[in-house]
Amino acid sequence: MKKEIYPQKFWNKSRTLALFIIPGLFFYLMFAIVPILMGIRYSFTDWNGFSPHYNNVYFRNYLRIFHDDSFLHALNFTFRYTVALVCFITLFSLLIALLLNVKVKGSTFFRALYFFPAVLSMLTLGLIFNQIYYRALPVLADATGLQFLKGILSTPQKAFWGVLFVQIWQGLAIPTILFLAGLQTIPIDQVEAAQMEGAGAIRTFHSIKLPYLYPTLTVVLVLALKSGILAFDNIKAMTEGGPAGSTISIAFIIYQHGFTEMKFSYSIAEAIFMGCIICFISAIQISINNKKKVSL
Amino acid sequence: MRKKHRKSFSLMIYTLLIIGALFIILPMYITIITPFKTMKENSLSFFSFPTSLYLGNFHTILTSPQYYAAFFNTVYVTTGTLVLSFIIHPMMSYALSRSIQQKPRYTYLYYFLLAGIFIPFQVKMMPLVILMSRINMMNTTGLICLAIGGSTCESVFLYVSYLNAIPQDMEEAAYIDGASTNKTYRLIILPLMKPIVATVLIKNGLWMWNDFMMPLIILNRTWKNWTLTLFQYNFQTQYTTDYSLSFATFVMSMLPIMIFYVILQKHIIGGLTHGAIKD
Repeated sequence: MKKEIYPQKFWNKSRTLALFIIPGLFFYLMFAIVPILMGIRYSFTDWNGFSPHYNNVYFRNYLRIFHDDSFLHALNFTFRYTVALVCFITLFSLLIALLLNVKVKGSTFFRALYFFPAVLSMLTLGLIFNQIYYRALPVLADATGLQFLKGILSTPQKAFWGVLFVQIWQGLAIPTILFLAGLQTIPIDQVEAAQMEGAGAIRTFHSIKLPYLYPTLTVVLVLALKSGILAFDNIKAMTEGGPAGSTISIAFIIYQHGFTEMKFSYSIAEAIFMGCIICFISAIQISINNKKKVSL
Repeated sequence: MRKKHRKSFSLMIYTLLIIGALFIILPMYITIITPFKTMKENSLSFFSFPTSLYLGNFHTILTSPQYYAAFFNTVYVTTGTLVLSFIIHPMMSYALSRSIQQKPRYTYLYYFLLAGIFIPFQVKMMPLVILMSRINMMNTTGLICLAIGGSTCESVFLYVSYLNAIPQDMEEAAYIDGASTNKTYRLIILPLMKPIVATVLIKNGLWMWNDFMMPLIILNRTWKNWTLTLFQYNFQTQYTTDYSLSFATFVMSMLPIMIFYVILQKHIIGGLTHGAIKD
């Protein structure tokens, strides 16, 4: 009896499951895959986005990238920016997590406070810090004599740090909590045993705690790396690429080329180039993770 | 001796924690006090606490049709994305996770759905403008569709890995008792997925509320379509001199998120960190 019903029901089940997939698949195809394919197609043309005719130029857009000084400048900026962002975020989030991990009164309050920037929008923060740099820091500079605090966004050198500071300010929150969660997986008896045998704080950290933090470390590194490469909101809000084009990131130049300079197909080629960099980094991350799984 | 050492140690921890906290609190303090002062008071002293609560700035913002449009657009876009995402993605992931076990060819579909995770938004950005204007969707509804399409990879990945880890006895029992697949999903699977659904929805909700890039490219034609981030951005470029008014817009845009954070702080921290690890 049961055997007779089962195939019928099984067929119904797999049909229902297939129906479950269709709406999601539709949105994914229509609003993610189709534009990507369109982009790949356009990147081989010289279309400006609105004229009725365009020609195939094959790989010329891609080759142009390597001779385009403005793009290479943006690449250089993004590289320096990302390296600085990754270093600061990793170092400071680890330090803050170590501080928060000490059991003192009020540490839950501090945890909630330190995480708060994660829920704010980078654009709003950029606009707020704009005003703070412009109005609050000069007052502070006069009061303390630290003259370099004046006119942060007006020279290329200082604007780099001014823009970076906002992203660090916001980007520390999630890595800090990730490290904190990682620190809590460390068995206390191992730490205590090391301390009993006379290991100092630094030695304990290096030999006992750090190995437990490696998985978190790779996650934090990749998160910071990606957010650095894709930096856009804070730059758009604070400097619009200035002064003198010194803070133009890759994401910003793609936007600029596509929307204000009407280099439609060229900007897509740039974006695909950037996508390749991100895929490369992700591939490295995955292979590192897989190696870890094997060794464990 | 030992006790004294401990005391100075915790004093040092407190000092460092408070220095860090000041970095977070001071910008927030300035953001909150500035709109309660008149321009005159602000130009006298940027840092001081307001002498009298001046509400004119908030009055100006709250009576401007642009703020209302932006606020309701943002609410519409965020809730629309959350509702659609809640209906579509868990259902799809359940079907995928169970179909893979019976028919290996679904694995290819799963990989296809994950492929987009590495592709940055900029690749789709320019073609999306063409696509959306062709199908006449340069509006908030179009933005919701983009958000659903764009968040598929991440959400499906999180849901499927969660579903693969939970035991299947309950749904099999329900199935043998004669429950339909649809009913099994709604009454048994969905309640089991609660924690991961919360993670994904918190992540997507914050993303949509704070997003600037997608609204900038498809909604910046008329102010009727602005979201709060676009409103702040355009407002700032219009009223550069009256910055206490700008700060009022910042406060009014951040307020809902702040309230949410105070109430749901534990869930938000848990949700965002869980989502980040799985990425």
